[in-house]
Amino acid sequence: FRFKESLAEDLRRADLVISHAGAGSCLETLEKGKPLIVVINEKLMNNHQLELAKQLHRDGHVLCCNCSTLVDTLQSMDLSTLKPFPPGHPEKFALFLDTVVGFQ
Amino acid sequence: TGGHTTEILRLLSCLSESYSPRHYIFADSDKMSEAKILSFEQKRSETFSNSQFTLDRIPRSREVRQSWTSSVVTTLYSILYSLPLTYKLKPDLVLCNGPGTCVPVCISALLLGLLGIKRAIIVYVESICRVETLSLSGKILYYFSDYFIVQWPHLKEKYPKSVYLGRIV
Repeated sequence: FRFKESLAEDLRRADLVISHAGAGSCLETLEKGKPLIVVINEKLMNNHQLELAKQLHRDGHVLCCNCSTLVDTLQSMDLSTLKPFPPGHPEKFALFLDTVVGFQ
Repeated sequence: TGGHTTEILRLLSCLSESYSPRHYIFADSDKMSEAKILSFEQKRSETFSNSQFTLDRIPRSREVRQSWTSSVVTTLYSILYSLPLTYKLKPDLVLCNGPGTCVPVCISALLLGLLGIKRAIIVYVESICRVETLSLSGKILYYFSDYFIVQWPHLKEKYPKSVYLGRIV
């Protein structure tokens, strides 16, 4: 398919996700607790779009490869090495904002 | 736009109903944000009965990778457009998270403050995608916002005046 409104259903049913390094794709997948292989295509993407993928890789949340090493990665991967991705804390932001605005 | 909208709605998710009415401003070229916002507010109204919000569109300041010179022109146009809107809304708080759309609105809010018409608190939250470098909006608003929030420690080191609360989306 070209564009779907939401990949939530596909993600729910997946056992493994292989994605480009787009932030939305990465985060949505990790939040659903699915193992993720990020395929990096340096020619196609901005430097800044890689920042998150690289950080997630450093923190052990995703596997990374490029187009030519994808097959090798799939053959040799050990998904048990991936660390679960903890959720963010919007409540900390709310607390901060309340203090700033004077509601606290 | 897209990811920015998803992030900002998450930022709003834990705010109390004191943050009301909410005025959403987004780019006229943005097709998906309106649906996301409506869905968010719809869910919110199930918990808070008196939920109030409005939606406004402004011309997009800059397309991705648009040239510098034409960006200045389109941003100026967006500022001219957003000034009367900001004047009408007279916000107490401006919360933004990085799309080019936010720069004209923040500049308008700053101008209103300088002219003594309405002083808003400007809070900027840099996107979670920004781990090592700031977005262009971030680089500009780091100097003009009252509170500048980053979500990764490296940025806090690089930009000491920023606030680091960890990942908040």
